[in-house]
Amino acid sequence: MSYMAIVLFSLLATSWSFLEHDSWITIDLHHSLSSSKPDHFSHRGNISIPSLNAGLSTVVQNPLTAAELDNIKLLAKQNGFYRLRATVSYPNGNVQRFLTSSKACSLLMAQFNDVLWISLDPYGYVTGVTASQDLAPKSSECSTDDIQQVKENNFSSDVIIRHAELAPVPDTGSFIQKFEREREARERGEVRDTRGFFAKYWMYIVPVVLLVFISGATNQDAAK
Amino acid sequence: MRCPQPSAGALISLSLLLLLLSTCSALYEDQIKKRSVHVGALKHAHVDLKHFQPRVLLTTQEQVVASLCPKTGQIIWRQVLEQRARGDIKMLQVSGFADGSSDTAAAPMGSHLGFDMLTVQGHAPALVRGWNTNIGTIEWEWSIMPLHTERAQDAVWFYSNSILYHVVPAWRSHIEVTAYFSTSGHTTGSTSKIMAAWIKPESCLLSGSYFVCLDGKQLISLDLVAKSTQVIATSLAAEPSSKIETLPGLNGVLIVNKKLVSVNKDQAVCGELTSASYVVGSFNYRKVVAYADLVDGMLKINAVYLDNCSPVPELQMSVAFAEDYGTPSLRSFDCKLKRNDDGKGCLFLFATSAESIMAVQQGRIRWAREESLANIIDTQFIDLPLADTEGTLENEMKGKAGEFIPRNGDIVTAFMRRITAQALQMKSMFLHLIGLGPPPTDTQRAGLVRDSFGLHKMLVLLTRAGKIFGMDNIAGKHHWKLYLPNVAGFENAEQMRLIVQRSSKHFPLQPLCAIVAKFVNNSNGVLFRFNPITGRAAEGGLLQLDYQIKQFSLLPETEVDFVKGILILDAANQVHVEPKHATPLADGMYLYTADVKTAELEGYIVKYAGGELSCLPIWNVRLGGHNSEQQIISVAGKNPIEHVHSQGRVLGDRSVLYKYINPNLVAFVTQAPDAAHKSVLTLYLIDVVSGSVIFSMTHRKVRAPLNIVHSENWLAYSYFNDKVRRTEITTIELYEGNAQANNSVWSSLQAPFMPLVERQSYIIPTIVEAMRETITERGITNKHVLIGTASGGIVEMPWHLLDPRRPISSSTQGREEGAIPYIPELPLPTENYINYNQTVARLRNIYTAPSGLESTCLVVATGLDLFVTRVAPSKTFDLLKEDFDYILISIVLVVLTSGSLIVRHLSSRKLLKQAWK
Repeated sequence: MSYMAIVLFSLLATSWSFLEHDSWITIDLHHSLSSSKPDHFSHRGNISIPSLNAGLSTVVQNPLTAAELDNIKLLAKQNGFYRLRATVSYPNGNVQRFLTSSKACSLLMAQFNDVLWISLDPYGYVTGVTASQDLAPKSSECSTDDIQQVKENNFSSDVIIRHAELAPVPDTGSFIQKFEREREARERGEVRDTRGFFAKYWMYIVPVVLLVFISGATNQDAAK
Repeated sequence: MRCPQPSAGALISLSLLLLLLSTCSALYEDQIKKRSVHVGALKHAHVDLKHFQPRVLLTTQEQVVASLCPKTGQIIWRQVLEQRARGDIKMLQVSGFADGSSDTAAAPMGSHLGFDMLTVQGHAPALVRGWNTNIGTIEWEWSIMPLHTERAQDAVWFYSNSILYHVVPAWRSHIEVTAYFSTSGHTTGSTSKIMAAWIKPESCLLSGSYFVCLDGKQLISLDLVAKSTQVIATSLAAEPSSKIETLPGLNGVLIVNKKLVSVNKDQAVCGELTSASYVVGSFNYRKVVAYADLVDGMLKINAVYLDNCSPVPELQMSVAFAEDYGTPSLRSFDCKLKRNDDGKGCLFLFATSAESIMAVQQGRIRWAREESLANIIDTQFIDLPLADTEGTLENEMKGKAGEFIPRNGDIVTAFMRRITAQALQMKSMFLHLIGLGPPPTDTQRAGLVRDSFGLHKMLVLLTRAGKIFGMDNIAGKHHWKLYLPNVAGFENAEQMRLIVQRSSKHFPLQPLCAIVAKFVNNSNGVLFRFNPITGRAAEGGLLQLDYQIKQFSLLPETEVDFVKGILILDAANQVHVEPKHATPLADGMYLYTADVKTAELEGYIVKYAGGELSCLPIWNVRLGGHNSEQQIISVAGKNPIEHVHSQGRVLGDRSVLYKYINPNLVAFVTQAPDAAHKSVLTLYLIDVVSGSVIFSMTHRKVRAPLNIVHSENWLAYSYFNDKVRRTEITTIELYEGNAQANNSVWSSLQAPFMPLVERQSYIIPTIVEAMRETITERGITNKHVLIGTASGGIVEMPWHLLDPRRPISSSTQGREEGAIPYIPELPLPTENYINYNQTVARLRNIYTAPSGLESTCLVVATGLDLFVTRVAPSKTFDLLKEDFDYILISIVLVVLTSGSLIVRHLSSRKLLKQAWK
């Protein structure tokens, strides 16, 4: 459910702001699965995004070998980080490397379903790539039994592109409009009220007259 | 001497004040404010005791011109001039003290010269100003705009015989000299060009009218006012080890290797003197050279007559000199005018490396001004220690240090403990009453005891010069001072930091603070640990680290001595913990670094296994764009001691919008030039544990100066809008939505990714110099944003006004929620200025700290001046009003009680009488 909401939001976000010059990027994914060799990264797959504004992507990922799966399980047991390196290539040949991590355990618990968030700056360059897993309840605890039961070896990733939004400016226009509207309404109100003096202020006059009558009557009583 | 002293008028007002006080003996808000006024580190100084109004005229590094009282050191007047290069004071010339002209010592203070004092400021344009030195006003001003702006940066000025000379060196080529009438600014002729291929930027200076360059073992000089442009070479005994300096007051005299050298053949000097600092003055109508040195903690002042180099015994003195002032250098001296002077009327003015200004007279330090306080870079409020009796009680309650008392121990022992503790307290109180109690400690004698509301604290101030002050936040007294020479701020434009390693809560243990800095000589890290109450070094004091500090963070308290360890990431990405015994606590800590220039962020996790610390990079973010044209201009995290009391916001339909409270969220702001939009400012909200970019937002045609506050679930930042040329504030609030993902524990690794973001922009009709949110003990009190303006005022802005959920159309929903309808301009009512007329010149930063009272927040505003006060954002709901009438309420109570008793008595009598009838 929350995932649906997120997708909706991202659609909304993309409609708020888009790039003036659309471009494409490709991303190579490598991951590090071994806690003993943290600097060794093996290939996981690649993503190509033909249009950053459209936000659609094609994801091709290798299945995990049995050894790799064991490595991840070991990593999860040590409460280690599953580290993912994303190499982003731009149309002009520039290449930038990004690193992101998540708990190996939560990746296993999510059955290798993850979401890759690609954040863009206002010019369409990637600022950060983050891999996250769907929030499953009770997933914070990592039990050995649950881990051992995982047999899945295919990554299934969603890619969400997040654009930088345009900041609001002080909304003087609508404030002035509102002010004008109120002023007009006041003026209109004054013009329309063409009723006579008594018609307008009868509610003040009647009690005064009544009071006068009553006091007069009581005075007369007293005089008698 | 006439100086601002309590005059008759002041006495009258004082007695009036006393009268007023006697009618209502209360403490009002304006009485809890403290301001101290500063001028900054000394640049030029001139002591003048012969004037009918003796004064010390000076200019400072902070671009201030001021006049001090020679007797007390108080400021008679002060003018804060333009900032940056435009206001850079190049020269100070006091009338009647010109080089080589009418400078016989007894020359009358000449108004015939057309000025009292003149200053030259800036280079393009250069501003020449004439001052009235009695009241500190500018009397006239002229300016010149040089042809070659970049060349004019190195321009120097000198004054001779009513003419002001502008000397522009064109390095390795020639010198351009233009003469102006000093008061009018008219040129006396055309600019003369003097060929001089031997001038180099690093080794030349101007001494009087001589342009002097050092070339190996000789000085090459040129008299710029002489008819013939003859180059004079003066050979030196040895190549100077330090930079050559000029001796003001003597034409063509320099200080080389601590000795005096003259390049002017008409000016003889006493070449055999050796001293760290010299100054020229007059004594008994004769010119003397005074010099001062620091020898074994004693400041020795000597003087010789310039004409025959014989010593002046009257001026010899030696003064005990406190270490915390740093190294002194003599800057000016003058004597009162009288025949057969005994030297008692002479005042020596010193500037020290700790940026103090001090005056020595009659063998003692007459006064000292702590001008390093004009550059405060960090502050902390420290709770004062408990009074003895409370301390013992607290100690008993907690159990003695090391002794383990189970919480659920049986009720009888707990009761017995309580009784014995209170008996002990009674005993100590009795002893105290009959005068047999333990003698009070130093801090208690100084009045440094915690008050019941926690409003009285020790304010620790760290200054850029490396001097640390312990100041009473109510009395404003400096309780202690420390000076750390040879420390500086870090790379990446990071300043030194002052951190609290142990608070005052752990009673028998003293609080502990630390300063983290860079050692100047080898740029390695330095830690200095000290007790913030007494100002004495603790835990070994200064600790030189053998690595450079790239980032540091505080660890949780240790179990043993409650010290928060410092986790340091060094330049080689190795992690260290100081003190060492806190190392196991570093396991699982996250660190991040941000490079300002390349706008790259990196996140690390620290692991502790097998006695070894290691750190693994786990994420990185690049905000630099393509060619790293974006630069980080601001980083704003949340205050780590902040508590968020309410988790959500009640909407109009009685549902709750939950706040997105992520303690690891940090705001980064980058700025880059842009072809289409001039300049683009981008705000990024990044979770620094997981490295995810939570939100980003772009402003077009907007630029620095940027000020930002980040607290709870919101942030507010001010910037300059280049398109409409005004300052604006944008505010953002983050919400999780109608449900909370996990309401007990926050984990950045399992956090909701996209919070709802509310945003709005406002116009603020002032220039913002500093912003800070108020903070209180439990976070129940409303948050206000303190906005420091360029005019030195501090405005308290309620968050209601900055709220991004202020509805544009006055819908009922907004009204139900309690939000004020949107108005684009923020109001700045004068009653919201918390410092009224006590403006803080050059306001740079505002610091806040909670007090013991939930309603009250302590505030320090720093700049050239220092301003300390407290604010109560939701009014003082937990305090009785200051003017609460105790007498009236007790009278009413007594009257009512006695009245009811009397009435009861009367009624019973009446009943009795009636019964008899």
